[in-house]
Amino acid sequence: MIGVGARGPISSASALTAAAPPLRPEEGGWLGIDLAAIDREAEVPYWIAISLVPGVGPVGFARLLRRYGSARAAWAAGPALLTALPRVPDDAVAGLARLHREGATRVADRVALAARGSGGTILTALDADYPAALAAADPRPPVLYLAGDPASMSRTCVAIVGTRRASGYGRSCAAEIAEELARAGVTIVSGLALGIDGQAHLAAIEAGGRSVAVLPSPLDRIYPPRHRDLAARLVATGGALVSELAPGSAPGKPDFARRNRIIAGLARAVVVVEAPDRSGALLTAAAAIEHGREVFAVPGPIDAIASRGCNRLIADHQATIVTSAAALLHRIGAQPGGQPVSVTSLSDPEALVLHALLERPASIEELLGRTDMATGPLASTLTLLEARGLVESYGGATFHPTLTARRIGRQN
Amino acid sequence: MLAETLSASIVGVEGLPVRVEVDVAFGLPALTIVGLAGSQVQEARERVRSALRNSGFEVPARRITINLSPADLPKDGTGYDLPIAVGILAASGQLRDVDRLRETALVGELGLDGAVRPVPGTMALAAASFGAGIPSLIVAGAATGEAATVSGLRVHGAASLGEAVGHLAGVRDLAVAEPTRLPATVAGSRGPDLAEVAGQPLARRGLEIALAGHHNLALCGPPGIGKTLLLRCAADLMPPLEDDEAIEVSRIYSVAGLLDRRAPLLRERPFRSPHHTISTQALVGGGPRVRPGEASLAHRGILLLDETLQFRTDALDALREPLEGGSVTIARVDGALTMPARFTLLAAFNPCPCGWRGSRQRACTCEDAAARRYLARLSGPLRDRIDLWVTMAAPSALSSARTDGIEPSAGVAARIGKAWRRQLRRQGIANGDLPAAALAEDRGLGVEAEGVLAQRARRFRMSPRRIHRAARVARTIADLGGADEVGREHIDEALTYRGAVDS
Repeated sequence: MIGVGARGPISSASALTAAAPPLRPEEGGWLGIDLAAIDREAEVPYWIAISLVPGVGPVGFARLLRRYGSARAAWAAGPALLTALPRVPDDAVAGLARLHREGATRVADRVALAARGSGGTILTALDADYPAALAAADPRPPVLYLAGDPASMSRTCVAIVGTRRASGYGRSCAAEIAEELARAGVTIVSGLALGIDGQAHLAAIEAGGRSVAVLPSPLDRIYPPRHRDLAARLVATGGALVSELAPGSAPGKPDFARRNRIIAGLARAVVVVEAPDRSGALLTAAAAIEHGREVFAVPGPIDAIASRGCNRLIADHQATIVTSAAALLHRIGAQPGGQPVSVTSLSDPEALVLHALLERPASIEELLGRTDMATGPLASTLTLLEARGLVESYGGATFHPTLTARRIGRQN
Repeated sequence: MLAETLSASIVGVEGLPVRVEVDVAFGLPALTIVGLAGSQVQEARERVRSALRNSGFEVPARRITINLSPADLPKDGTGYDLPIAVGILAASGQLRDVDRLRETALVGELGLDGAVRPVPGTMALAAASFGAGIPSLIVAGAATGEAATVSGLRVHGAASLGEAVGHLAGVRDLAVAEPTRLPATVAGSRGPDLAEVAGQPLARRGLEIALAGHHNLALCGPPGIGKTLLLRCAADLMPPLEDDEAIEVSRIYSVAGLLDRRAPLLRERPFRSPHHTISTQALVGGGPRVRPGEASLAHRGILLLDETLQFRTDALDALREPLEGGSVTIARVDGALTMPARFTLLAAFNPCPCGWRGSRQRACTCEDAAARRYLARLSGPLRDRIDLWVTMAAPSALSSARTDGIEPSAGVAARIGKAWRRQLRRQGIANGDLPAAALAEDRGLGVEAEGVLAQRARRFRMSPRRIHRAARVARTIADLGGADEVGREHIDEALTYRGAVDS
């Protein structure tokens, strides 16, 4: 084996079952709860108030609804409602008491104000705008906070997730898949994390598509802070930011597990681009399988630590292998989008270098041998191709052809 | 009775003429030195006393007061021994004919036996006393080579106090030292040869551009891929110092006491590579007795910071000033002091504390935050001053097998030398040393190149400062290629080294 992180050969044990135990539907499902029968106007403040009680998650909320018939009734039950929860944290009693003192209406008004202050709105499972895909993924989060256009989530959504420590290969794959899907009118869902997530969001909006980021933090505290600008661009380009955490609440740790479940719930399929062992992206894949979503994984070199999780998903038949962005598009059933911006003719050295890269992404060092050019002119040509949007280095030493370049390659 | 001798003092890397006034008066026997004399000068009392006695002279049993003028300038060093001893002799009537004293400066440390010994900074001291209109200088015999670099100055080497006094009294003249000539060529090699460096063509080319145009270069990559080896090759790639540069650099080394006294004029460009544990003072100069730091010792040459991010952050930040202005200013209680420090920075570092971030073969064991903090040790202003960035990766099995194309140092050095000549002819200064103000008006690019640069700057979201720097680098690439006009290909090649925009 190569490297220090290797922990034996790929095992036959599932990479996913260890990650999250499956949930029995009767435990947390919303089956049997008739949302249509609920009086939305009267219920919403209580939905918001109860969703803020420590320990109340999608599962607990569904149980309360089933036991008490409505959030209002559950609220009236006072501390007794805590007995219905699967897990009662230490601060639940005090937290509930504090909310009770404030009163459900005032709590709801306060949260609504905070949501507006951070440029967002409140979306409950009672609302028509509530994403249908998420509603089908029980247990659904009862209250979401949303900035941007909820319609972006009603189109076909595909999640692209992966490691924060992405390699140039991973970034290149994320960008290519996101671009191809975005051109086909698919909304790209991801977690706004550094690395693969950010690359997927960015490629989607730069291709003129829409992208939805599910945050592990409240809307007023974008995590990671380095992607604040990216988050604003997502909203500005017709996408959305979604969070399960109320804005204006006390700062807590980012909740990645809940974020990953929402990502899986929103998406029709989840593509794991690059994930090492024990990556959060594998948890998203596990949640997707649980929700009955299709999982795809991009294979990596067998000696690449960053791709071990992906390779294992494929080896364990838990994910479908992604052989190309076009093949993925076909599997999902989307039609390829319009042609990319036309590129004026390439000069001889440009064509030579691009051709070599289309064969296989390479560093300058490898390209020298394959093109027989001198270092200076080769470097110059690569920058020119990069400026034309045909080549990307993703901050590393290896140059990758972009989707545009691949399409040109296919035409010729 | 009163007497006066002439000497000089070192301030930073410059000399300053100093008068040594000696008064021998009635009173209890004592020897007092005033005029902000530091501890080394105070100790001169004991050396001078013994040297006088052991040279056959008499130490008058009087009250002797010595004043070093200008008296508000802090003085240190042992070079005042000789002027003090001669001053005592003159003031006590043991040295009668004092005509020569008025036209001869004296610099030298005395041994207890009266031997005259050389002191650091002789070159700057000689220049200062000659600059003050003093036509002759007596120094230790071993220091005549250094002093005789000042053309026009009559330099006499004295082996002992007795010889110096004999010359001053006109009893036995000391010979005038031959003027020191610049060595014609650079001798020997100081570092590894580029032929030993496997692969890494982009880093090699980056180094060539950096050295040709005095641009600052940073190499980032995992351990063991030859960053250090490559940068150490720089020592033999640079053209020799120009004549005026050689004097300027040698003077700094003279003050630091680092000159070979037999060959006091340097022809080789300085190549300094301080260890990363160096203190800020040792790096940029300073301290109670101001000495040139590594930044000044690298003046007109190279400062290599291997494992750059392991240096103290305050030391790294202290490099901002010399990188921007080519000099170091040291604030002191009695005013600021400036020393030249115009060097080319070569930096090499790992991408994270463990070194393996971004590597395919080995997992990085660093926390994300720790890795970011690590890179942040190189502060934004310092980052902005690095012109060329190269991200290095382990060579692939395919390319490292190629050995045919490896160019040895000689060919690269020749190209760098030619590019350097072109710059000297055109503007008298390296492209990387052009002042920012000059660039803001005219980057020396044609209309087409400016257009390409503007378009690329938009595409790659470059700041104005980075655009300027890229223009300078493109100019150097054109010079390396012997092109008069900066073309599209030069701009694009320069932008290959623009560094990753942090995402």
